[in-house]
Amino acid sequence: MRLYLELAKKSFQNNIVYRADYFASLINAIVLIFVNIAIWKAINEEEGALGGLQLNILITYIVISFLMQTVYQMDEYFIEGKVRTGLISTDLLKPFYFRLFVFSYNVGSMVFKFIMQFIPAMLLSVFLFRLLPPFNTQMLLYFILSAILGYLVLYNINFIVWISSFWFYWTFSLVTIKDAAVMILSGALIPIWFMPTWLIDFIELTPFNAIFYTPILIYLGMMPEDEIFMSIVKQILWIIALFGIGHILWKRATKKLVVQGG
Amino acid sequence: MRNSGFLESLNVFYQYSKLSLKVMLEFKLDRSMITLAIFCREMIAVVVMLLILARFLHIRGWDMNQLFFLYSFLFISYSLFVFIFAGVRDFDQLVHSGEFDRYLIRPRGLLFQVVASKIDLPATLGHGVVGVILFMNTAFSVGITWNMQNILFYISVVVGGAVIQASIFMLTACMSFWAIRIENIRNLIFFNARRIAGYPISFYPAFIQKMLIFIVPFSFVNYFPAQFFIRKEDMNLFWDGFMYMTPVVGVVMFVVVSLFWRFGVRSYSSSGNALY
Amino acid sequence: MALIEVDDLVKEYQLNVRHKGLLGSIRSLLIPEYTKKVAVDSISFSIEKGETVGFIGPNGAGKSTTVKMLTGILTPTSGTITVGGLSPYKDRKKNASRIGVVFGQRTQLWWDLPVADTFDLLKYIYKIPDNVFRENMELFSDILGLQEFMKQPVRQLSLGQKMRADIGAALLHNPEIIFFDEPTIGLDVVAKEQIREFVRTVNRERGTTMLFTTHDMLDIEKTCKRMIIIDHGKKIYDGTVEEIKDKYGRSRVLRVEFSEYIADVQLPGAEMIKEEGNKKWFEFQKDQTQVSRLINTLSQKYGIVDITVQEPEIEGVIREIYQGGIDLNETLSGVS
Repeated sequence: MRLYLELAKKSFQNNIVYRADYFASLINAIVLIFVNIAIWKAINEEEGALGGLQLNILITYIVISFLMQTVYQMDEYFIEGKVRTGLISTDLLKPFYFRLFVFSYNVGSMVFKFIMQFIPAMLLSVFLFRLLPPFNTQMLLYFILSAILGYLVLYNINFIVWISSFWFYWTFSLVTIKDAAVMILSGALIPIWFMPTWLIDFIELTPFNAIFYTPILIYLGMMPEDEIFMSIVKQILWIIALFGIGHILWKRATKKLVVQGG
Repeated sequence: MRNSGFLESLNVFYQYSKLSLKVMLEFKLDRSMITLAIFCREMIAVVVMLLILARFLHIRGWDMNQLFFLYSFLFISYSLFVFIFAGVRDFDQLVHSGEFDRYLIRPRGLLFQVVASKIDLPATLGHGVVGVILFMNTAFSVGITWNMQNILFYISVVVGGAVIQASIFMLTACMSFWAIRIENIRNLIFFNARRIAGYPISFYPAFIQKMLIFIVPFSFVNYFPAQFFIRKEDMNLFWDGFMYMTPVVGVVMFVVVSLFWRFGVRSYSSSGNALY
Repeated sequence: MALIEVDDLVKEYQLNVRHKGLLGSIRSLLIPEYTKKVAVDSISFSIEKGETVGFIGPNGAGKSTTVKMLTGILTPTSGTITVGGLSPYKDRKKNASRIGVVFGQRTQLWWDLPVADTFDLLKYIYKIPDNVFRENMELFSDILGLQEFMKQPVRQLSLGQKMRADIGAALLHNPEIIFFDEPTIGLDVVAKEQIREFVRTVNRERGTTMLFTTHDMLDIEKTCKRMIIIDHGKKIYDGTVEEIKDKYGRSRVLRVEFSEYIADVQLPGAEMIKEEGNKKWFEFQKDQTQVSRLINTLSQKYGIVDITVQEPEIEGVIREIYQGGIDLNETLSGVS
């Protein structure tokens, strides 16, 4: 366990090295939030359909969603890099679980982004966009739990895509197509409740809404308490299912590596 | 003499392109997948816009066709830009890897080599196809008469828009002569401006409008040219002359950025990639 | 005037200071600090047309910075460089068409395409006339053996083949001066020898001036007549390779194989340094002890199967210089 904590700490420190990057991605998130709010304000102004309260909720939705996206950003080409350079074979011989190693690496940079980006941007947003606080303390706790589970859902989806690098030389295409699916179907860019019913029904069958949509709804207090339990169970089930798929693929991938001798 | 020099350079450019295409053919499947991926990535914003408009029908008097027409400029001019200036886009890697040193010991212009040495067909097609789809679905339903004058103006603003984007990219590329990694700074400047420009700039607060006109002039890539064709009410917020200025802005920016580039090269020669 | 004139050359860099630890890295994030590093410290030399010169020095000594200034990649902080009457950084393009550079660790070949494609492209980049291109291609096919892999994608070539192709690529436009930066790094003995042979041939037949930076002393011994040693940014030796071996490689090793095992061999004037079965190695100073006397002493006392005298390798000499075992300033006069 200590080892993985060390790895996470290393990755945390790695993130600090790139000064320019740090400030840029912070501003990046703010600009994106700003643009989206301007558009929703424009819609609200003409339609009036959103109503005063609705606009506030929408703004909060957008802010939380973009901040979560920044924090949930992972190193999509870490495993690909290891496979292509062949370092994977030596890493597999080292006395640690490779998958935990990759996980700690990503968690380290997640913690960095949380402390150095999420918190300042969140505080700034309270002033800039009059962000709504969590519905109540209980919802805040549920939100934190659900957000962590959302991270794990995304991580396990990503892991499946990363593992494909054992079969494909480059994973850029798959990663990018996966990203497009996540962006649209997770409600990261537009609340799912605005989508056509047929699309909502489809999304219900996928793990995508368990990433951002579930935690944000909880934060906003838009999910009835009895549904929260079910949603969290659903998140957990998705994590188990996706982990299972990842596990099977991982076993095959390492077997393939052994057969081909790296 | 000058002319033959130009033709000779053009031939070298052609020789470079031949090799780039050969590499592309070597990896047909992979490059097609990348093209598809870029297409999907670029469609995200389009789909989001589609979902919003399916629900709300119009935003501040702009309907779906008009918004997509406005958007199509971004993709078509980006496609043209990346077709020619892919080397400028990836310039930071060139400096980072030390490969730029090689360009310094060749008897050719540096910018020429950077531009000539890379062609990115997947990006060109990925963006281009989105642009063409949007254009074909809207160009004939937003009330434009496509006479000779309009066609020529359209071409000049697409080229101008491509040059504007090339200049912005070159500006950020120059940063890699000094800074360590510029990926995020560039995203900040370029892709954020592009994202903002996806919707009419009149939707935004005045300082963002000013920024997109005077600092990162993306408004000349799509908003003002689109206004020339479909003249919406919100154009009253701005000076009419802006509608015709895209090519001028392109030329001026390119000249200014070229000077900055020279300055950057000089600075690189004094520090080398010891910075890295 | 010499082909290359370097006078009082200085190069300083600004380096970013990074602190260790978590707090340290946050500190570097917020308050960047810089230090100055003098990479090249008033170096002067001149090189005549047709010379072969090796630049050597430990890592970070300033040799590759010097070469970068000679090729026009870097501008000097102060001092002057002229290459064939031109300033490499002011007349970058003109200078570039007269020089060729081989980076041992970085190829200029297109990775996914056959070697021939890169050569074709270079023909246009350097405006090489058809006849020159043809002649060179024939010559390189001959002595570099390029024709056997000309049609293969570069990524499939061996290191040695890649290096041969890279050298060909750098020589295609008949440069007057060629810079080799670690040309034999990572190659096997045969490939190394092949490349050295080619370099010697080109130097002999075309009178091309050649400069090497390398860690492999054999490269220097076998291809260079002159050697410039740089350490801590300063030139500490400039002279022939022979001279340095002669003057500073004073110790010799005598390798003797006895007919039977002898526990204790008495040999005045020499010291036993190694022992292996019936073989023994003795070190002696050539200006204090004569070889013939040692051999006489041995053959009178013991039965001997084989005996050889080993010359010092330049590598050992250089190592000793770096470690301060030999002080060049004191012992060498007439170094300008």
